[in-house]
Amino acid sequence: MTAVNTIVRSALVIVALLGCGKDDGKPGAPSAGSRDVVLEAWKKGGLTPSPFTAATVAFGKDCQSGTVNGVDVLVCQYATDEEARAAEDKALEWVGEATGIARAAGKVVVAAADRRKADPSGRTLNQLTKLLTPK
Amino acid sequence: MHTRSHVAGCTHTGSSLHHRAMRVLLLTIVVLGVMASSALAAKQVKYIGIHPIAKTHGGGFCYIEGPHVHTYAADNVQYRDHRGHKHFVGDPVAYGYDGPKHSYKGHHPIEIDAYADVGVNAPSAPQVQAGIRVGEPSPQADIRVGEPRPDIRVGEPRPQRHTEYCYLDGPHYHYFEPADWPDFKVVGGVYFYVGAPPKVYVDARPSMMKINAIYTPIVYARPVVTVEAPIGWIGARAEFIAPVVVAPAIVVPTPGIRVDIGIGVPGVIIHDHHHHGRGHYKHKHKKWK
Repeated sequence: MTAVNTIVRSALVIVALLGCGKDDGKPGAPSAGSRDVVLEAWKKGGLTPSPFTAATVAFGKDCQSGTVNGVDVLVCQYATDEEARAAEDKALEWVGEATGIARAAGKVVVAAADRRKADPSGRTLNQLTKLLTPK
Repeated sequence: MHTRSHVAGCTHTGSSLHHRAMRVLLLTIVVLGVMASSALAAKQVKYIGIHPIAKTHGGGFCYIEGPHVHTYAADNVQYRDHRGHKHFVGDPVAYGYDGPKHSYKGHHPIEIDAYADVGVNAPSAPQVQAGIRVGEPSPQADIRVGEPRPDIRVGEPRPQRHTEYCYLDGPHYHYFEPADWPDFKVVGGVYFYVGAPPKVYVDARPSMMKINAIYTPIVYARPVVTVEAPIGWIGARAEFIAPVVVAPAIVVPTPGIRVDIGIGVPGVIIHDHHHHGRGHYKHKHKKWK
């Protein structure tokens, strides 16, 4: 029985070690729903995000803004999924009087506003939103 | 040095007047801020799904499938309100839509399928299950077609399906397919509704039939339907044939041959012979993902 226990314990340790990604636990490592993941998904999806820079908004402390194919985009990161969801309505206010979207994806809230009429058919906004959806 | 003023029998020093003016000013700023915020909130109109763009905003077609906002209103004939979002239930092709489309003939139910998790999109769960599909008649007698439904907040229980009805006469397109529902028959690639619509459908007909006045003058390629309508098709049932005249149209009540000729419409001939076959078509739910 002792040998069996030892084997089982060893197996559990191995499984636990294999289950940890090498970036897990490191501060700033991209996680599901993080800003870096979102930006990368947009690039892979054929969109062209500009460099994103720090943005100051009332509903988030860790926000960056830029453009994606000419559409103004704000991406805020939160500590939890719930906080991100709770910020959606405020993010919609950021859209203002433009056509736009505000969506939470994991710990990130993405708001996009077509203030320059760069996307009259909404195709960019559509793709931008759909690429937030986990496959 | 203090100055004194006498206003309405009261004595004020200059500094107290200054404080009072400041208070009034601050209050005014707060009130204006609240009003501006309310005005913005009122200006944003929430939509789900694709729809025509208001002519006042340039016209054309909006291809955003998920929840989004515009600053123009949606009418109550071509749109249905569900949980604070407008859903387009008209024919998108009439407005230049060039995506996937499905042919229908006559009136039919539409299930507006925007679930309570709109806006709840944790990576582990489906993001937004929102969209439209054609589905079953609602058993709820207290629901009126076109009546707005309240917005549902995160965490609230998911209510029952929201069934609306399409009142477009004759052949038309939608961008969504019917749900897996036996009250539809597909013949020649065209969906025919053969179910029994509830009272809510009948009650809303007088106001919702206005949609045909919107589409009749629009010149676009409607589906050409040359197949026999299946037995039980709503358009061939006397109790549901509306006494509506949409010129120029010649409507010969069934049985027989029905000839619809609309403006800009390719010749459409529907032979309303009974068809006993059951459409074995794989229905798919159209959901936004």
